[in-house]
Amino acid sequence: MTEPTTRIIGFLCNWCSYAGADMAGMSRMRQPAGVRIIRVPCSGRVDPLLVLRAFQEGADGVLVSGCHPGDCHYGSGNYFARRRLELLKRMLPALGINPERFHYTRVSATEGARWAEVVSAITERVKNANDND
Amino acid sequence: MEDLISAIKKVLEQVDVVLGWARSEAAGVAAPAFFHTPAEAEGAIFDSTCVHNLAVHLPRLADKKAGIVAKGCDARSIAQLIAEGIIKRERVTVIGVACPGVIDVKKAWRCFGFGKRVSDSGGQVAMEGKTVKREEILLRKCRGCREAGPVIRDVTVGEVGKAPAAPADPAGIRKRFAAMSFAERRQFWQDQFSRCIRCYACREACPLCFCRDVCTMQAHEPGWSGGATNSSQSWMAQLVRISHMAGRCTGCEECERACPVGIPLMLLLEEQNAVVEELFGYRAGSGTEAKTPFLTFDVNNDSWEQER
Repeated sequence: MTEPTTRIIGFLCNWCSYAGADMAGMSRMRQPAGVRIIRVPCSGRVDPLLVLRAFQEGADGVLVSGCHPGDCHYGSGNYFARRRLELLKRMLPALGINPERFHYTRVSATEGARWAEVVSAITERVKNANDND
Repeated sequence: MEDLISAIKKVLEQVDVVLGWARSEAAGVAAPAFFHTPAEAEGAIFDSTCVHNLAVHLPRLADKKAGIVAKGCDARSIAQLIAEGIIKRERVTVIGVACPGVIDVKKAWRCFGFGKRVSDSGGQVAMEGKTVKREEILLRKCRGCREAGPVIRDVTVGEVGKAPAAPADPAGIRKRFAAMSFAERRQFWQDQFSRCIRCYACREACPLCFCRDVCTMQAHEPGWSGGATNSSQSWMAQLVRISHMAGRCTGCEECERACPVGIPLMLLLEEQNAVVEELFGYRAGSGTEAKTPFLTFDVNNDSWEQER
């Protein structure tokens, strides 16, 4: 019997991480298959409620990935996102969700290898997150 | 009381209406009142049953000149409304009162029975022969009160300057909640919100939930929460409200007080306020010029993810 897939919803910025993930695929890099990618125009588009809804609908983990500081296509979207997502991450314990299930990170369009690494590391952390702590 | 009545009369010379409290003979406790004339103002009171945050009415009176009687916590809401540009500073006259802490009226009714007249003097709350120590039935927000008088005020009644002395919270639900695991907390909220009847009293009582006509909690589009009264949809609706209160909630506890089924909403809002204060050193309602931390950013200092 195969191990159940760890389902992670990935909200990826169109201008960087989405292309980075594409690069990882095109370069045939090995990476966990459980990430379901939703392309968004900017990490600043990711309403914390989208993340909470994903958890409510049964996601094991949620990953938001956007541009490095200074690289935002729109100038400042990732800076606003950073504040909101940090608040969300710290609120998760009170909502009954292990914060290890939620990650936000930065991957640029050229960092295919980094994307593969990030996804592997995060899948591992989500898999090990224990809700009975 | 004389000081308060004369202050209201004086303010009435310059404004259209003053928001304050009068005694409700039916309920025996204070009820919000709108004073338009000096004669009406004769009925004004302020005591520890004046629990309501009257700032909730100000957005609807934005085209009028209004006066308002405000406790320390209410003044924070007024300051936040001004900071957000919902009301104009020059259109509102704040009568700041020295607040000894207000009582949980539901608890008082549980002690004394509904509808009896509550009187309060010298730390004792009394009603028809029975007395209770005021500190035993204080509203919970008053136990952690940090207000040394209203942050904005044009007229001051009574001696302000220090927060009311009150014993620490007897813990109860907070202590239990803190000890729960993630899974237990999820179950806890599922149980709590199974009681929610979607009356939106939490939103109506909140002075900062002012976009009532287009409220996302209730809107069919984009349909965050649906309209059903099942636990998961009610939970999502409340998450909408709580996320929209990030960096704006002044902790007046009106949502929890208004909740007819007693859902401990402040567990979440207090947590959120604490996180915002820790991350950004910001408390909503601290001033009329303050900017909510989520409308701005700091390129150099916002780097929490590097710690992980």
